Formats: sequence, C-alpha cells, structure tokens
Amino acid sequence: MTRILLKNKLDDCIVTWRNAGYSVLAPVKRNEMGSFSEVQKASDMSLDLILPERTIKDRFFPQTEPMIRYKISKQQIDTETMTPPDTKSVCFGVRPCDAAGLEIDDPLFGWDYKDQYWFKRRNNSVIVTITCTASDDFCMCTSVKLSPESTKGSDVMLRPLSNGNGWQVETITERGKALFDSVSVHLSDEKAETAALAQVPVRFNVEQVMEWLANPTSFESQFWKDIALRCIGCGSCTFLCPTCHCFDIQDEGDTYNGIRRKNWDSCSFANFTMHTSGHNPRNTQSTRWRQRIMHKFNYYRGKFGVNSCSGCGRCTRQCPVDMGITETLQAISNLPR
Amino acid sequence: MGIQEQYRSEAASLLSSGEVKLVIGFGAGSTADRRRPLFARTGEEANRFVLDASCIANLSTYLLTEGLLSDGKKVGIFLKPDGIRSINILIAEAQLKPDQVVILGYAIENGQLTALEGRSVADFNGVNEKIRSLALPPAVQQDIERLEAMSPVERFQFWQDQFSKCIKCYACRQACPMCYCRRCIVDVNQPQWVNTSSHTLGNFEWNIVRAFHLAGRCAACGACDRACPVNIPLRLINARMGREVREAFDYFAGESTDQKPVLASFSKDDPETFIL
Repeated sequence: MTRILLKNKLDDCIVTWRNAGYSVLAPVKRNEMGSFSEVQKASDMSLDLILPERTIKDRFFPQTEPMIRYKISKQQIDTETMTPPDTKSVCFGVRPCDAAGLEIDDPLFGWDYKDQYWFKRRNNSVIVTITCTASDDFCMCTSVKLSPESTKGSDVMLRPLSNGNGWQVETITERGKALFDSVSVHLSDEKAETAALAQVPVRFNVEQVMEWLANPTSFESQFWKDIALRCIGCGSCTFLCPTCHCFDIQDEGDTYNGIRRKNWDSCSFANFTMHTSGHNPRNTQSTRWRQRIMHKFNYYRGKFGVNSCSGCGRCTRQCPVDMGITETLQAISNLPR
Repeated sequence: MGIQEQYRSEAASLLSSGEVKLVIGFGAGSTADRRRPLFARTGEEANRFVLDASCIANLSTYLLTEGLLSDGKKVGIFLKPDGIRSINILIAEAQLKPDQVVILGYAIENGQLTALEGRSVADFNGVNEKIRSLALPPAVQQDIERLEAMSPVERFQFWQDQFSKCIKCYACRQACPMCYCRRCIVDVNQPQWVNTSSHTLGNFEWNIVRAFHLAGRCAACGACDRACPVNIPLRLINARMGREVREAFDYFAGESTDQKPVLASFSKDDPETFIL
C-alpha cells in the first residue's frame, strides 16, 4: 500500500500548506513562457510541460538580487544588508533534472563561504519532484548518469498514476515526510499502477568525454575553434542552465545612494573575463565555449566530485544556433582517438 | 537537379577554385526540423550543406565575426531576401565590402524554394526593388494590429509583461546582424552607462536602447524573435520603429547598398516638428 495524492485533492493540499505559511511554487505558463511562479490553486499549474523554459534555480539564485543598500554622506556611511524574506516554500512539480541541479550547486555556494542567499532559501524549501513520463529530443539526463526518476535534490518524489488521476507519493527526506504528513488526511491509501517512465536515450559517453577533457593536450585542440564558429556568444545556455551559477557584483545608483546587487553573469560574454587593464585571457568565443565545457565536465568535478550538468537539455533546446552540451559532447565522443 | 544539390556543387566549386575561403550555409540540426549554421572550407564539407524550407535563419550576422573578413578574402553565404536586405544595410553602414561577399540566394514561398539569380551583391537589384513590398508573415501582421488596437495603458502592460521575462542573455543582440558594435553600450562599464540588473526596469532600459538603435536599420528578418529563449515577440517593436521611420522620412532600410543611413545623415528637408 502506498500513499496516493489525487489531483482533485491538490487544492486541499495547497490550502493546508499555504495556511501553514508556505508559498507554493509550481511551473506556470504565462505570456508564452514557463517558469516557477507562486500559485493559489492547482489549476494555475502547468504540470504537463516537459520542462518550463526557466529553471527552479531562479527561485534560489535570482537573476538580480539586492545585497546591500548604501547611503554615503559627509558624516557617515550607512549600509543595510538586504537578505531574502524568511518565507517557506513548497516547490511543486519540479523535474528530476532541475532538482538535481540544486544539489549540484550546493557545494559551490557552501564551499569556502556559505552563501546566505542561497542557503536561506534552500533551508526554507521543500522540493516536490514529479518523475518524467514524457521527454523530448533534447532531454539527456541518462547521459549524465541521472534518470527520469532520480531523487537527487528532491525531498519528495511523485510518480504519475497510469490512470492520470494523481501521483504515488514517495518521501525522500524528513522535510518531505513532514510536508506530506501535514496533508495526510488528503491522501489516500490504495494500490494504483504508476505510468511508464520516459525513455531517454543515452546521447553521449560521458566517461569518454571526461577522459578527453582531462588530457592536457585537449586544451589547445583545434576542436574548440571549429565547434565554436557557430556560437554567437549570447548567454541563453548559461542563464537557462539549472547549474550555471556565475554572477557579478554591481553597484546600482550613484556615489551617495544605491544598492549593491548580485547579477547573473555568463562565461559566454566577452566581458566575463575582461581585466581592468583591457587584457582578456578568454578573448575568443572558442576559449569561452571551451571554458564552459571544461568547467562542467572537468574542473567542477575535480573540485566537488560531480559534473555540473543535470541533463535538462535547455542549452540546446533554446539555443538560437542549435548548439549545446549534447551536440558538443557527442562531437567530442566522435573525435578520432 | 534540386536547389540543394545545385548550391552544394556551386559552394564546392567556389571553395575548390579558391574564389572564396569559406561558405556559410546550413547543415542538419539536432532534430528533423532544425537546421544549424554550417561553415565549409573545402569542397567535401560543402556536400554537407542542407537547403530546404527549414533554412529560415539570417546567417549574415556571421559575416561580422571579428577578424573573419580582415584578410580581404571572399566568403560565400546562403541568404534569403531578408538576409540580402541585411547585407545592403551593412554595406550602406560601411561594415562590409560588397566585393567580399558571394551570395547564394534563395527564396522560400509557400514552403517551396527557388534559387535567386546572381552571385555578387550588385546582381540583386531586382530583389532590392521588391524589398519594400516584402510582406511580414501574417501572424506577425496580426500581432502588430492587435497591439496597435490597444490603448497606451494596455500596450504598456503588454510590454511590461513581456519585458519582465527578459533575462538579459542578449541572444537578440547576438543573433542580429545590425548589432555589430564590438562593445555594446550595455557592456561599457567605465562608467557603467546602463545597469546590468535584469529587473523589469533594467529590462525596459535594455530593450528600449536596442529598439532605438535599430530604428531605420532593421531588416525585419525576425532573428531576435527566434533567438529569444523566453519568447518575447521582439520583432513587433522593430516593426513599429520601422514604420515610424518610413512615415517620417519615406525611408525603407536595406533597399540598396548606397542608401544614406537615415538617422545618421542630414537633409535640409528633414521634418523639424520636434524643434520648439
């Protein structure tokens, strides 16, 4: 016997959670874009999307985040640290790849300095993931050793029932268990069949890729120049990535009054590594694209023991020139050895 | 012989004869309906070119890749009429030398491809004459009419909803052949003229800066729109700016290579209604 959450009970759960002080976030398609937004009721949710355009990462590491308000006068300098509000949230309907992205980024944000913005939100959130019963041509979780049912980063795993009426509930963490214990009156205990998982083909051999990247001669390979010809140097792949985490600190305002902000930055941009002197160590798109691949499948693993890719495929899916991780890693797998 | 085979073999002979050093065209993409830019340097590579009704991207943006044309050698490129229009604007703005471009022109009408006569920029005067009458896709035209019918308050709300989605990835700028500044104003940071923050106000700033900079320069190819990863209908802004310029100056960007850029030139007859 397993616990079942029926779709027609979801509204009751939302009410219970909201009454307990949670804001409920879910994929919402609005103005032709899917993103995780606050919902009041189940019908606000777009749970049929394979993936929303925007990741759940945005809710933990927003594209622009105020950090310090400053005011400078002749007499004194006033600063006020701005931290995210102490709201608890339920992230409902996250896909396994997006949930894994959060866990992949945890060591980065907690490595030498614990990023209070990230961890305050992480500690206040419960990730309720729904396994994937559909995938598209760009999904590649299985290529990076995850799957449509991997629990990495999830507090609760929901498995869609084959009759389409609801989900089987599997709690993973204490936090997830507590969240669903709070709505146990709305759950049913019955035997129900779960729908078949999406079949996501393995699109590249990640071990082979990692081995090639780790070879010092690969750094100067002509491969980078050839593949990066096509890259137009926008930041779409990095900003839609569930694991990309680079940011820049900017003061917005004037000398006397303003806000210091943490804004997303992208290794695809020419400005990213521009030195004050004017020298740019990554002065071509090929060196920037190389950095992106090396960072995800070589450096990050070296430092934190995990690749910085959870296989969502947004980089290729939304790339203006049909270029992303999959295609690059396939090309690396196919290089003559 | 179909147009794809014809252009494959033309590209191959341009490359093997040494007339061009590179041909920029389309290759197969990651799915059946996607095409991706393909760069051929040898006759053999030219055999991988694909040309069909899915080849809608405007490849002319690649011509301004830093250093590509600095050796004075020629480059071949697959272009639709909107791409040819882009080239005309770039030549008028002194960003391209006409003799460095060999055009493999094609048009797509009702899903059917036809080859366009001519190879050098000067050969396309016939296409240029028709540029003024090039209609926008019906869906775009409908969206324009829907926007025009709105009250200013509704329209502002529409753009606020759209721009609040923007993440400042600059895919619109990077995909646009007219955004060729080596250092865009938003990337100038000594001082930082435009804030980098991607909040709604910052997103308005960016999108309005871009709209102003494209007024009278847009080839209406829709590259910005297609590039946007969060589906902002950017071409609607540029279409409106194009209309303003047409009505004020009877100017239609990209009709010929010897146009004087409308907002960068002066005429005694220019309307001066804005001068108090």
